[in-house]
Amino acid sequence: MHKRVLVVGGGIAGIQASLDLAEMGVEVFLLEKGPSIGGRMAQLDKTFPTNDCAMCILSPKLVEAAAHPNIKIIANAELKSLDGEIPNFRAKILKKPRYIDEEKCTGCAICMSKCPVKIPDEYNKGLSKTKCMRIPFPQAVPALPIMDRESCIYHQRGKCRICEKFCEADAIDFDQKEESIDVEVGSVIFASGSEEFDAAIKDEYGYKTFPNVLTSIEFERILSASGPTEGHITRPSDGKEPRRIAFIQCVGSRDMQMGNEYCSSVCCMQAVKDSVIVKEHLPGVEATIFFMDIRAFGKDFDKFVNRAKDDYHTRFIRARISAVEIDPATENLIIQYNSEAGSLIEENFDLVVLSVGLLSTAGIRKMAARFDIEINACGFARTSSFTPMTASRPGIFIAGTFSGPKDIPETVMQASGAASAAASLLTELPIRELREELPQEFDLRGEQIRTGVFVCRCGINIAATVDVPGVVEYASALQGVVHSQEFIFACAQDSQKLIGEKIKELKLNRVIVSACTPRTHELLFQKTLSSSGLNPYLFEFVNIREQCSWVHQKEQEKATEKAKDLVRMAATKAGLLEPLSRMSLKVNKGALIIGGGVAGMVASLELSTQGYEVFLVEKESELGGNLRHVHYTLEGEKTDRFLKSLIAKVKKDDNIQLYIDSEIREIMGYVGNFHTKIGNGKQTTNNKPRELEHGVVIVATGGEEYQPSEYLYGRDERIITQRELEERLTKQQSAIDKLGSIVMIQCVGSRNGQYPYCSRVCCSQAIKNALKLKEINPEVNVYMLYRDIRTYGLKELYYKKAREKGVIFIRYEEGEEPQIEAQNSKSEQQASNGEVLVKAYDPILQRNLVINADLVVLSSAIRARKENKILSQMLKVPLNADGFFLEAHVKLRPVDFATDGIFVCGLAHYPKDVSETICQAKAASARAVTILRKDEIEAEGRVSQIRKERCSGCGLCIEICPYTAIELEEGERVAIVNEALCKGCGACAASCRSAAIDLKGFKDEQILAALSVV
Amino acid sequence: MMDKNFEPRIVAFLCNWCSYAGADLAGVSRIQYPTNVRIIRLPCSGRINPLYIVKALQNGVDGVLVSGCHPGDCHYISGNLVAGRKFALLKNFLVHLGIEPERVQFSWVSASEGPRFAQIVKKVVNEVKEIGPIEKMVKRL
Amino acid sequence: MMKEIETRIKEVVKDLFTQNKIDLFIGYSKGSLPLTSSPCFITKSEDIEKLVWNSFCSNNLAVYLPRIFNPQPRKKEKIELPRIGILAKGCDARSIVVLIKEHQIARDNVFILGIVCQGMGDRKKIRNDIEITGAEEKNGRITIVDENKKEIELKREELLSDCCIECQHATPPIHDILIESGNQRPAAPKGGGRDFEKKSIEDRWNLFQEEISKCIRCYACRQACPNCYCRECFADQTKPRWIGVTDHISDVMFYQIGRIFHQAGRCVDCGACVRACPMGIDLRVFTHKLVRDAKELFDYEAGVFLEEGLLLATFKPEDKQEFISEP
Ligand code: SF4
Ligand code: SF4
Ligand code: SF4
Ligand code: FES
Repeated sequence: MHKRVLVVGGGIAGIQASLDLAEMGVEVFLLEKGPSIGGRMAQLDKTFPTNDCAMCILSPKLVEAAAHPNIKIIANAELKSLDGEIPNFRAKILKKPRYIDEEKCTGCAICMSKCPVKIPDEYNKGLSKTKCMRIPFPQAVPALPIMDRESCIYHQRGKCRICEKFCEADAIDFDQKEESIDVEVGSVIFASGSEEFDAAIKDEYGYKTFPNVLTSIEFERILSASGPTEGHITRPSDGKEPRRIAFIQCVGSRDMQMGNEYCSSVCCMQAVKDSVIVKEHLPGVEATIFFMDIRAFGKDFDKFVNRAKDDYHTRFIRARISAVEIDPATENLIIQYNSEAGSLIEENFDLVVLSVGLLSTAGIRKMAARFDIEINACGFARTSSFTPMTASRPGIFIAGTFSGPKDIPETVMQASGAASAAASLLTELPIRELREELPQEFDLRGEQIRTGVFVCRCGINIAATVDVPGVVEYASALQGVVHSQEFIFACAQDSQKLIGEKIKELKLNRVIVSACTPRTHELLFQKTLSSSGLNPYLFEFVNIREQCSWVHQKEQEKATEKAKDLVRMAATKAGLLEPLSRMSLKVNKGALIIGGGVAGMVASLELSTQGYEVFLVEKESELGGNLRHVHYTLEGEKTDRFLKSLIAKVKKDDNIQLYIDSEIREIMGYVGNFHTKIGNGKQTTNNKPRELEHGVVIVATGGEEYQPSEYLYGRDERIITQRELEERLTKQQSAIDKLGSIVMIQCVGSRNGQYPYCSRVCCSQAIKNALKLKEINPEVNVYMLYRDIRTYGLKELYYKKAREKGVIFIRYEEGEEPQIEAQNSKSEQQASNGEVLVKAYDPILQRNLVINADLVVLSSAIRARKENKILSQMLKVPLNADGFFLEAHVKLRPVDFATDGIFVCGLAHYPKDVSETICQAKAASARAVTILRKDEIEAEGRVSQIRKERCSGCGLCIEICPYTAIELEEGERVAIVNEALCKGCGACAASCRSAAIDLKGFKDEQILAALSVV
Repeated sequence: MMDKNFEPRIVAFLCNWCSYAGADLAGVSRIQYPTNVRIIRLPCSGRINPLYIVKALQNGVDGVLVSGCHPGDCHYISGNLVAGRKFALLKNFLVHLGIEPERVQFSWVSASEGPRFAQIVKKVVNEVKEIGPIEKMVKRL
Repeated sequence: MMKEIETRIKEVVKDLFTQNKIDLFIGYSKGSLPLTSSPCFITKSEDIEKLVWNSFCSNNLAVYLPRIFNPQPRKKEKIELPRIGILAKGCDARSIVVLIKEHQIARDNVFILGIVCQGMGDRKKIRNDIEITGAEEKNGRITIVDENKKEIELKREELLSDCCIECQHATPPIHDILIESGNQRPAAPKGGGRDFEKKSIEDRWNLFQEEISKCIRCYACRQACPNCYCRECFADQTKPRWIGVTDHISDVMFYQIGRIFHQAGRCVDCGACVRACPMGIDLRVFTHKLVRDAKELFDYEAGVFLEEGLLLATFKPEDKQEFISEP
């Protein structure tokens, strides 16, 4: 048997894990309990902090998963049992009936339009109606309808069967039964997600009783252009545009009463994002966020919050709201809160959005128990900081919110990491090779254009509006067309066969299909071309369904005219199409990993386990990086031991070539074929080669601690950093246990004008050390001066614990930083009872405080390394404004760079804790393996192409190409395209004044040809 | 100038990943819009050479609509941002020369904005109807 | 002043040749007609005396650099690049910056003799019923002699070219030596098609049409423009053919729109195309629109900063979105 993995859950976590595994040559069964994959992300409008359209970035992934030959999607199904162990798990899957024959159904959705029964649309959170027979949402995958048996009148009352009457594919099956599927797999990934908190439980907020109180997900649907109101923001009670909107944070999170003490991690940013989007839709609106702490701890989050404050005038009010009242006359909502100064304020809102948390339900706990997956106190799958994707049961891995709340990029990282971990278990098994034998392509040289046009009726979807026979006839008279015909369903199996036969019989050398959308069906037809000996790029798709019949239903003649025009344009373009080939290039199986901290070491071991050679380059003389200064985690695990064993493993791994005390001199080349020169360090390790060849690069260069210049740091030895405190706590406790009063100051060097980002880990680190202090000496007074406590996710439990243990938390505002006065500082000689005085303004007590401190501990920021700049130039990858490496896409490609074959992990990307670093390191190796495991990688077919004689080497295209696919050839000074890197966007071609660079498949002459016959 | 029966011919250059998907969604959602527009699918709005737009006018097309992903959403990271500069300059330039601003229009439409796509088509069609058939720039032999 | 500058130029060029720093110097010599000067290529110090400096050294000399550095057709073997000295006013120097950024000039092989320019005259500004038979320039005054030997005295300022009146960059942004020229002229914000812009859309179109109908597609504008170094201009291409080979006004317009649009973010407003046009088309009415928009929309001026990216290869988050039609 080859490598096989079962992925449970088809949200973004499951999809990412599946895609990575599939690319690693693993056969994947992707199980989804709902009718379509996509998960919660499919319901979001935009994503923070870039406001990318969620569907725009998700839907290509859905399509990719559906089309990947290594992925089998089993939707509308449930995992019943899971027996066995690595690498022989036996899973029993129960597939529930959809009441359609999936083989026959073409997804034309005519059944949906004819079905007379309306039911609440779950996708829109019940805010609108859909049909009993429906495709869950337009981009759904699989793109098949499903029938709701409970509301089907035939099933309930024995009469109707209207859908059956209209289905031309004869696909409706009223008698469909549950189906049991058994699969055998080597390992399993659970990406089964979490649930949203049911806001109705907190009846003080009036959800479900007051019409204008919505949950955050409902509000996402309202914001969405594809939602129930088409993106018009109106309130449910009267359909009017709201003018004042309140967001109430932490609904069902950080809430002891509800038993959910953790923080849901994502709601702050979601509310901030929504407040911005709302403002963009309705400029007059006033958005207010009621929060406890703004947890903007991710990359570029604080900048986004600042933008919301400054440019969008979102009001941020720090208050926990206890109830929402209604004004019955207006159905407006009344919120009372205590201002920080203590006065009671009442405000009136048109709409209230409850930021509901993510949680584990009884159902989830039961499911976990059934599969022997241990859960933690909060009901999420238990993992450790050092194996953050490994479940208690061997062979099972976790991805996504099943192991605790997290945002999309972290989910994606954990998913890729889980994919890597799952694949690492199966190294003994062969990969699944999918090379299908294709017939030899015809030689087209000297051939006349012979185009075949196939027009689809799509049942009645097209034919009811467009005169299909008319189009067929019209097409037959077009230049170059030698055959035209219609199909009831062009995508049906037998139609494909017929197209293949026609190609052979009539020697067709161009094929036009006039049907639905190329976005979902182009690949299918291209395959038919390939398997009939015709180059798949000799194909044009005309969309007469989405662009004619469906949008001009009442204008049949004009729709038909338009269809003819579109076919004419396609035929003209088709005459100029050329056969294209995908260039393939050899992949060197080595990996260069820059940085020997945890990130670099974990990635190295991961790659080595999977059988690849690794060059690990560390500039210092020992391995370990920043973790050498961390001795225990917030959760109490010992990092020292972990680090030691990690280093030992790396050192004795034969696949890992270690370059200590070395630095990178030069990196040339591109994905699959990098050449790197390593500079000699102080001590030459041995006679290892200094010039390396490798296929991928992982950047794991880490970050560094900021050396504060504020708060007298460095001028008084009683003022130290958290790192120094931790050092003392582990190594010289005696110096600590006599102290009476310790003040910690947060955000030193973070979240300020020059460095507007949050260093993410300092709050947890401070709390960790505060708890340690209390453990050593319960009597010690620990004060923490903070701006927001950002113990996101399950870390929140320790914040609570710290409060219980008596750590005193005092907030300060930006601009009102505490002041420090050191009496008897080193410089002064009088050795009396020297103390450090910390002065701060307490906004709650509304007065100035003076604390006598024996020790002041600064939570100093994590900075990007300055050397990042040089490396980024060498690799031609970008940095963000704060100097951290900037990934290809902040949501869905968190470890990739736009340039193929280069990955990032660890602090080089952004501050993060050890478990997140390990996640990301494994994710980076997963992504690297998707390249390394191939002997050759295939480039795109539609890539750019230089006409040397026209190119003057001006370099415009080189600067424009987002993938650094073009270089200036120094000798002749012309641009050259590296087809392996080109993604075919065509930006270069559209910019070259000399038309010296063109995009194959969308060439100037082809486009101008279509344009000439519009 | 205003001919009640004038049906303009509009060409729309759409990027594959957002705007074309938005047009698809308009279809799936059965949103009805005028029949005048002929879509040319391109990988990205960054693929659109400004000369295509001028060429369309020269060919006698009454109006051109160009649409891509919203800034930040481009499938190719920055295609639309780079293109945006060209578009802004081209539009102003053509208007400077005396081409009606209605004839060449740009928009950002995402994959989930079916209604927005339909609205923008309606808008362009109506505005071009208002100003009548193209005379300027057309090469009539 | 002019004479002093001329002397200084000659000194510098002499030094360059004696120290064997250059193989060729590009400057101006006396033109064939009064109130003109021509580009002049000096390869030996004996010829230095030919160099002149006056109020009619208008040509943008940068236009020669790409041709020298990138001879057409492309040479197979690597050529030894000449070392060139060049006289550069503000606009010439800006063109040089543009060309360096576009890899058309080997910076190390050019020695830029910058001159803070006081603006160049435009012969066309003299009443066209006068036939100029001679001219002399002294102390900011220009004396011309007409066909009846009558002397007419003109102020230099009155003769300044439109582009020079508006020039904001008299000082070359890049140079290896700079010759100062006394006080700066204040730049006047007028011309450049701004009046044109105020006209109604129909009037603009009619004027555009009127101007373009004069064009004979001789391509002198393209020849004069330092930016038009393409190996094969889109206007000449056949696969695809962007422009019909007819003299149909629509094709001429296509050429003009195409060529001018290709100058976006690159045109330094030197006026070379306007001066070159034998039909007297005021191309600047059109070219300057793009210059203005680059500045107004993207805060970009061509050829001012060597380090800045190319206008059309970069973007900023704050780029204006006004060109977008909202439904
Ligand atoms: S933009 Fe055109 S001329 Fe310039 S380098 Fe690229 S291909 Fe060559
Ligand atoms: S088509 Fe896009 S990806 Fe390819 S070389 Fe051109 S700019 Fe780069
Ligand atoms: S120089 Fe004048 S006439 Fe010649 S092509 Fe240019 S604009 Fe036309
Ligand atoms: S892919 Fe839509 S604009 Fe680039």
